[in-house]
Amino acid sequence: MNMIRLIAWREFMENVRTKGFWVGILLFPVMLIGVVFLQTTLSRATPTRYYLLIDQSGQYEQAVATAIEREHQRRLLQEFVNYLLENRKEVNFEQTPVNASSAVDTLIEDVDADEVAALDQWLDAGGLNFALTMASPYLRENAPAFTPPAYQFVEAPLPAAVNRDGTPTEIVEALRPYLTGAQQISVNGRSEDLFALILIPENVDEFIARPGPVPTTGSVSAGIQYWARNLTDSRLPDAIAASINSEIRNSEYIKLGINAEQVRTVQRTRLPVTQLDPSAAAGEEAVSMADTFRQYAPMGFVYLMFVSLMQSVQYLLSNTIEEKSNRIIEVLLASVTAGELMMGKLLGIGLSGLTTIAVWLLSFYLFINFYQSAQTELIGEIVGVILGSELIPWFVFYYFAGYALYSGVFLAIGSLCNTLKEAQALMMPMILIQIVPIAMMAFVVLDPNNTIVRILS
Amino acid sequence: MQESVLSLSHVVKQYGDFTAVNDISLNIPKGSIYGFLGPNGAGKTTTIRMILDIIKPTRGEITILGHSSALDVRTGIGYLPEEKGLYKKMKVWAIIQYFAMLKGMEKKAAKQRAWTVLEKYGLKDFAEAKVETLSKGLGQKVQVLSAVAHAPELVILDEPFSGLDPVNQGVLEELIRDMAAAGQTVIFSTHVMQHAERLCDQILLIAKGRKIFDGSVAQAKATIPRRILIETNSDISSLRDIDGIREILILAANPVTGNAGQLWQLQIQQQVNPQLILKTCFDKGIALSRFEFTEPSLHDVFVHLVGDDARERAAR
Repeated sequence: MNMIRLIAWREFMENVRTKGFWVGILLFPVMLIGVVFLQTTLSRATPTRYYLLIDQSGQYEQAVATAIEREHQRRLLQEFVNYLLENRKEVNFEQTPVNASSAVDTLIEDVDADEVAALDQWLDAGGLNFALTMASPYLRENAPAFTPPAYQFVEAPLPAAVNRDGTPTEIVEALRPYLTGAQQISVNGRSEDLFALILIPENVDEFIARPGPVPTTGSVSAGIQYWARNLTDSRLPDAIAASINSEIRNSEYIKLGINAEQVRTVQRTRLPVTQLDPSAAAGEEAVSMADTFRQYAPMGFVYLMFVSLMQSVQYLLSNTIEEKSNRIIEVLLASVTAGELMMGKLLGIGLSGLTTIAVWLLSFYLFINFYQSAQTELIGEIVGVILGSELIPWFVFYYFAGYALYSGVFLAIGSLCNTLKEAQALMMPMILIQIVPIAMMAFVVLDPNNTIVRILS
Repeated sequence: MQESVLSLSHVVKQYGDFTAVNDISLNIPKGSIYGFLGPNGAGKTTTIRMILDIIKPTRGEITILGHSSALDVRTGIGYLPEEKGLYKKMKVWAIIQYFAMLKGMEKKAAKQRAWTVLEKYGLKDFAEAKVETLSKGLGQKVQVLSAVAHAPELVILDEPFSGLDPVNQGVLEELIRDMAAAGQTVIFSTHVMQHAERLCDQILLIAKGRKIFDGSVAQAKATIPRRILIETNSDISSLRDIDGIREILILAANPVTGNAGQLWQLQIQQQVNPQLILKTCFDKGIALSRFEFTEPSLHDVFVHLVGDDARERAAR
């Protein structure tokens, strides 16, 4: 036993002294912090976009303006939901049913289903001011005031040299230097980049597509023309398309004599489905948020195991090879039994892998506790719920057992190799073996009492 | 009879059709320095591995420190393998401490011992260095020290001198003598006869897996006749009558001096005093321009006993 401890300790110290170990340990926290800060900074840093709108048909200027306003309101709503999550009163996930239909949830769902209608309703209902009034009972007492975001898309004045009534080709040619960034437009005396040009030709209605035979437009620039170098930020064209389509549909309804308001109401009608757990006590049958989180806890552990094995597999392979290739193993085997040697190595390497995981978990814990934001708080609460499960000791047990099993297999394979080359050839099958639980995981969660799953456990 | 620390009885090791070690028996007394000599591929390392129970003999029995397996008496054995290697990232003193602890020493005592041996054998300045920064020879010295730091009863060194410069070979010889003086038994293998000649009380000579000779160095030397070289123009036929001269061979004229004198080699028996032959030469009036008596070296013995075999192997 002493020998095992001695060997394990040496293995551990040797691994701990490698650069790779520290890179591995620090990578996760650095990534965690990096991702969060980058995301926040990037989303805050998105600059104001200036666009030009030339509507030669004279019909859709209002629709585009609405689209811009809606886009702004959507952002505002998102920010507001974040604000709500961040500053709401404590919520007990144990008591919160999965299908709890809070006003915010429905609103978000509606936004997904029919964005325009939902946003219209939000605006009709008074927008931000109304929402703030509605939300006030759910907010913490010392919640800070909500600061709405600034408009992101702003219309720029048309440069004097451009003729609003020219042919679309002429207009695009005149504005091309601005669109490519060669020239800047003047907004309120300042020079700014032109983000996009929205050009609605006079004959735009000819291109309205209706169900039926595929219409042949014949031209690449048919319909509304959206000119922009930035192809990834699709919020503006998407919003414009949604708004104009809604406008067109409205006029179609009117043409066909249908009440548009009624149609919208019908689109947003729904019947709730309540999930119930037959094994729960009376009155607590409703499947709570916590229950669903717990269902996913095993997944977390499988990923944890995958990551820790990925980390250790190198050590498991290469350490035995070092000893074999330079015959240290002969000295060792003249000192300890093969069993002691292997057990010591397994423990030592296992321990270094687990140290990394422990440090990661610790940094994760510190992160969600000391970096206050809506997401981290939510994650913290979810983690808290998962850790409250009575199955946790089992998860931990199976994690260690699985880890030991895998490491044992890898170590055995490693000890069969004489050179690093042979071992590298074995890396691929070993990684595939590691993927097995991940591939299985989805099925296991769906049906944890399946016979095959039981046998595999 | 002296206490035996290691005895092999009709040990055979076969790998398929190939017999690496063929029927070797030997007995090593406590406190002796014992050399395993033989050409490359003779089976020295295989024998050592069997002694340590790293590999099992196909047949035969090994008794080591009173046990049938070296694994039972691990802490009493120190072993230096043929191919040298250490953990590259460890510090010199730490690696000696580690191996001493694996042999059952307490942590503190092992550390102290590591520093003591490093100081004693001239490595104190490198104690804090990492093994990977050492030269090959120094690394090997460290490895020898790590093998013997726990003062084992039986020390087995496989080719300990290979790769060491003459000064460090001297240090190692000193270490081996120190251990023997302290009552430890040292077995080492080598194909450099000078070390064996200087150090060994007893030697085992093997070739092609077979034991060719087992005994003291003096006994080994006795296996080849002693020789006297004389150079003279006189007739030496009268020397044939002396008792104890086994044979007189005529050699070519001295190639070095270019003298006209004829070079003869007299092979004499073990008990014959060379002085007597010199006296006879004077008495018979043989005018000597050279009279040279040399004890055969272990090298001569080695070449005599396994020379043909070694050449054959080298040619293959």
